[in-house]
Amino acid sequence: MSQINSVAGQELREMFSAATSWLEKSSEEIDALNVFPVPDGDTGTNMLLTMRSTMEEAYRAPDHSASGVAQAMAKGALMGARGNSGVILSQIYRGLAQGLEGKESFTAADLANALQQSAIVAYKALSNPVEGTMLTVMKDTAAAAQAQVAGGNDDIISVLEATVNAAGDSVANTPRLLKVLKDAGVVDAGGQGLYTILEGVLRYLKGETELMRLRKPQIIVSDLPHTASLPQTVGAEEIPYGYCTEFMLKGEKLEPDDIRKRLEKKGESLIVVGDDSTVRIHIHTMEPGDIVHFATKLGTMHQVSIRNMDEQHQDFLEMQKERMPTADAAVIAVAAGDGLTDVFGSLGAATVVPGGQTMNPSTKDLLQAVESTFSDNVIILPNNKNIVLTAEQVPSLTKKTVKVVPTKTIPQGVVALLSFDYEADFNTNVQIMEKALSSVRSIEVTRAVRSTKVNGLKIKRKQPIGLLDGDLVAVGDSNIDVINQVLAKIDLDKAEIVTIYYGAEAESAEAEQISAIISEQHPQLQIEVIRGGQPHYSYIISIE
Amino acid sequence: MTVKLVTDSLSDITSDMAGALGITVVPLYVRFGEEVYRDRVEMTTEEFYRRLVSEDTLPSTTQPTPNDFAEVYKNLAKETDEILVIVVSSKLSGTYQSALQAKDLIKEKCRIEIIDSLSVAMSMGLIVIAAAKAVQAGANLDDVADLARRAVPRSHLIAYFDTLKYLAKGGRIGKAQSLLGSVLSVKPILTVKDGEMSPLTRVRSVNAGLDYLYNVVAGFSNIEGLAVEHATTPDDADKLVERLSTLFPKERIYRSIISPVVGTYAGPDALALSILEAENK
Repeated sequence: MSQINSVAGQELREMFSAATSWLEKSSEEIDALNVFPVPDGDTGTNMLLTMRSTMEEAYRAPDHSASGVAQAMAKGALMGARGNSGVILSQIYRGLAQGLEGKESFTAADLANALQQSAIVAYKALSNPVEGTMLTVMKDTAAAAQAQVAGGNDDIISVLEATVNAAGDSVANTPRLLKVLKDAGVVDAGGQGLYTILEGVLRYLKGETELMRLRKPQIIVSDLPHTASLPQTVGAEEIPYGYCTEFMLKGEKLEPDDIRKRLEKKGESLIVVGDDSTVRIHIHTMEPGDIVHFATKLGTMHQVSIRNMDEQHQDFLEMQKERMPTADAAVIAVAAGDGLTDVFGSLGAATVVPGGQTMNPSTKDLLQAVESTFSDNVIILPNNKNIVLTAEQVPSLTKKTVKVVPTKTIPQGVVALLSFDYEADFNTNVQIMEKALSSVRSIEVTRAVRSTKVNGLKIKRKQPIGLLDGDLVAVGDSNIDVINQVLAKIDLDKAEIVTIYYGAEAESAEAEQISAIISEQHPQLQIEVIRGGQPHYSYIISIE
Repeated sequence: MTVKLVTDSLSDITSDMAGALGITVVPLYVRFGEEVYRDRVEMTTEEFYRRLVSEDTLPSTTQPTPNDFAEVYKNLAKETDEILVIVVSSKLSGTYQSALQAKDLIKEKCRIEIIDSLSVAMSMGLIVIAAAKAVQAGANLDDVADLARRAVPRSHLIAYFDTLKYLAKGGRIGKAQSLLGSVLSVKPILTVKDGEMSPLTRVRSVNAGLDYLYNVVAGFSNIEGLAVEHATTPDDADKLVERLSTLFPKERIYRSIISPVVGTYAGPDALALSILEAENK
């Protein structure tokens, strides 16, 4: 593969120009990812417009030095910055220009330093930098470049290759750092935009211009399980997002730090960047008039834009509908324990209502969950025989169409949810789910609350007991003993998959041991051990 | 002059079928790092899947260039003045664009119709085969094009995936994204809807997957064409064919292999079932 050891101004311009065209191809998809800081769906467009302004200025650079072009880019970015992401991007170019200052051309080491500077300047622009955003991606990117150079790599292409990979990993990781991303099942839009720009630069330097014409940038998908939302209180007033207010302030002896401090309490997502003659201000505020009033006293305002973010949010919600499958129903599951909640959430339950044995949710809890889901057709999985009745009260209390699939155990709830068909209508799905219940056997292991005699078994208080599909069938001295006894009552030759959910009181080591024992006796079975985190039941085992 | 048929390699039309039915197949490209291979031509499917699972960097794919199509058009124009091109869903690949642009690259006088199958694999292949049979029966370009267009909404692809890893990394996941990230290990079942990958459901084992595929076929009352394909597990596909033979004549079920380009996204162990519904007359 070809190597590049230095890049001059002309090439710097061309590579970002190619990156702009590359970004353009996915700007709409990036819009659709935009949930932070405000889900208004414009990040891709804002970054693209900022890039266009950046490149227009780049072609007006006074000379062809890397330094000259980078300065012009920084200027163009600042003049044309749009939105949160655009302003942060302008600071990335500002850092780049600082890092490349005075250089005719740059080496891999120069580039790594400049990226480092970009990260520093970008963080400084925000009064409250948030991790899991394009700031984090910039930081990780810079760190990867530094590591490459420190390792003796002086080929700009391979340094960038590692850098772009790191940027991609960092983007994929953003939902781990920022909960709103995880809840929405997306990566950070600004981070994705930055990654796409860097990827465009790399592809250009690798000479893949023909390929770039034919292909589209890829939106990174996080491998993080989706979380189901917890039920929200119905009727709680939604907080309006206010106005996204941004403009350029020109004047003399302007002090960006001072302005930032003065505006800090006036709204959210404040960014103030620039120098003593030109300052760009971006803020989300309820009172745009106050901001304008304050600014006119300091200098002249240019490129003033005040947008109603609630309107934008509505457009964004429409856009989201396009992204997600148009299933005809939402499923609400009842489960206790963070592990089980994640299991149901990751299988697509719209809401998981906390509850289970000895902690049954009220009809009102379930009703609230029904009212707060997006769909007018709702299926409830009670997952406990004592909750089935409660759930059956719900349909008559709401205008929504609600059906209860009477799942009596967690394993039944899981197979029911698994069988959900995205293309089927509501009633068909209820039938499919009901039919699925017979495909699973459920084992529950708990401790006796009192000494008693049931089904011919003599049980002492606190002794481990085992239930098969809700019937008490075994008692023993240990969990393993009880599980073995219950398993002996099932024809495992026809089974395929055993899933062991161990509870809050059980140890993962013991769960693995149980898995090993079953596996030894029935090598054909596929066994999965999952932390359910449920109270009360040390083990819930599903046999499919 | 008889109409000539062109499709791309994602139709999974085998070279035997192509030869017998007079179909020209334009290959897409699979790329492992710097090495580029023509789909189904320069790399065997076995070799491809071996490398797919063993190499660190995943392959990528590219559509045929407009020039690739232009060359095919030029050659066919020597024998005919009517060409019908049926290509993979324009939402999954840029192949449609290349086929379209190629029309401007040739000087020969020849009518060329291009149809977006809104599908992939044998569910596109079944449309191509239906068109080829119409051509053999003497249909002209307008008739065959009309027949193929009418077949598009009647052709269904149901695919069993062992993992969505490859689809996600390849950026083709579409609405099937909602099946990603399950805490439990599950096998997704997908379809192509409006030209894009879309979720159907998920199962927990290949046997449950085969049951599901069988039941889908059982749910159709009037089937014109049926095809079963595998990636790395021919035995599972054969098992499915055997079961389906109670619903549809076994000798009429097409057996093919998922092409490397599609395999780049479907991954090993995937199975594809294609159904062409019969037209209501």
